Amino acid sequence: MQIVSKDLVYTYSEKAKALAFRALDGVTLTIPEGEFFGIIGQTGSGKSTFVQHLNGLIPTKEGNGQLLVGEFDLTDKNTNLKELRKKVGMVFQYPEYQLFAETVFEDVAFGLKNFYPDLPQVDVEDRVKQAITTVGLDYDKIKEKSPFELSGGQKRRVAIAGVIVSRPEVLVLDEPVAGLDPVGKREFARLLKTLHATFVKTVVIVSHDMDFVAEYCSSVAVFSKGKVVKVGTPKQVFEDRVGMREMGLDIPVTEYLKDALKEKGVILDCDLSVESFTKAVAEKFAKNKGETDL
Amino acid sequence: MKDVTFGQYYPANSIVHSMNPAVKILLTIAYIVAVFMVKQFYFLGFAACLLAVILITILAKIPFLKVLKSVKAVIFFVLLSAILQLLFNKNGTPLWKGGFITDVGLLTAGFITARIVLMVLGATLLTLTTSPVDLADGIETLLFPLKLIKFPVHEFALIMSIALRFIPTLIDETDRIIKAQKARGADFDSGNIFKRAKALIPVLIPLLISSFRRADELADAMDARCYAGSKKRTKYKKTPFTVSDFFGLVFMAGLIVGVVFLNGFII
Repeated sequence: MQIVSKDLVYTYSEKAKALAFRALDGVTLTIPEGEFFGIIGQTGSGKSTFVQHLNGLIPTKEGNGQLLVGEFDLTDKNTNLKELRKKVGMVFQYPEYQLFAETVFEDVAFGLKNFYPDLPQVDVEDRVKQAITTVGLDYDKIKEKSPFELSGGQKRRVAIAGVIVSRPEVLVLDEPVAGLDPVGKREFARLLKTLHATFVKTVVIVSHDMDFVAEYCSSVAVFSKGKVVKVGTPKQVFEDRVGMREMGLDIPVTEYLKDALKEKGVILDCDLSVESFTKAVAEKFAKNKGETDL
Repeated sequence: MKDVTFGQYYPANSIVHSMNPAVKILLTIAYIVAVFMVKQFYFLGFAACLLAVILITILAKIPFLKVLKSVKAVIFFVLLSAILQLLFNKNGTPLWKGGFITDVGLLTAGFITARIVLMVLGATLLTLTTSPVDLADGIETLLFPLKLIKFPVHEFALIMSIALRFIPTLIDETDRIIKAQKARGADFDSGNIFKRAKALIPVLIPLLISSFRRADELADAMDARCYAGSKKRTKYKKTPFTVSDFFGLVFMAGLIVGVVFLNGFII
């Protein structure tokens, strides 16, 4: 499913003039199928508002631009939102706060039962088991537990299992690594990679973590004041140091290191991932072995 | 949900805003007493109350529309009581031959409408010009006689201001959880009443849990700053009795005298 947004506009509290706030001010963006797509931008730049449009949680009105998600036209009032939400899964910030059921099994099955009320119990169990295993938890140990007695990291995994269980084609995540420790972050990134390779075709991720974006995203869009100001590969986007700073955004650690090396006269040609960076350094090091200036 | 005027603070720099909250609460009570003192069918008293509302609104620098909007919250109640009076009041003579609406019924309907609307307008002026924190502060001051019977007045006021403080937070939280469950295919808008009530469980339970979490965190934060209830606490914001409070008292006394006086006239 390809996502195409054209001149999308959204204003909060439109009726109360004094409180009205234009969160999206003409967003034009295309997210092709199969991408691991990152969205970055300062707080209040409209990223969360935009991704909530993608499965109709924030309604689009006529005259406020265009938004196509696959075959669904979101400006059309008659679009079947339930069908759309089957295809576009959404993971909010701190998803563990949405857990409610008595057992982990019930909570994970919630979405599945909503979307496919006629699914036989055997298939429900099958799918729930698969979802829980995919997020890296032990199904037999955890299924009868109350979600509230789990640890923070486990809760988050359960919440995500509750979204991927209905097998969406597009998975949208709003700040999924906020509040995770470094190890948790790395594990989570690995989980997303696996999901992208197996369950879901397209991943759209909103993040403040530039290292995360640089390492895993195939494309990045930069939001600023309700508009998309830049789209490209992480390398292209982070190249513009001045622009990034002006928008109050950071750059990944590898870029900092590259800049520091450049000052010392060492120019590296590599991608932004840690692996690509270390490889380039190692090569340079091997080449310069014996010379004294490095 | 966010567009409700009733009970919303409208910040401005005016003499009404800067009045002592306790005095303001007392004056509002006095105003409501004045509205209720207007005798049936003697509408001049209502005109005096309306004049008072208009004057206070101007002094408080609040847009009239903002004040009028508060009536929206009670419009259903007002209409219902007016219509009931029109239809079922059998006193007086019918307005037309064989008609079921009597002149007394019409007057009573108008009277009740005026009474409720004026009361709401007055109460709205209080909440528009007094921030929730000040309001709780004023109530604390007014409840001080209860301290004599060992009623924890300070704690009571604190609970009230915390409750008020968390209303917007809870609204945001509810909104977020509803969205998260909608994204998982939850349906809140269809089915019969039992089905809809059941559909709210996935919203209410997370909301309840996060409220407890917030309460815990708040308690910890207060503990960490050595909060110890009412014992010898001084106030950060002092609200002395000022000239404007004095004028407020005079103004309200004038209104009550005026209403009593006008009750003697017949239109």
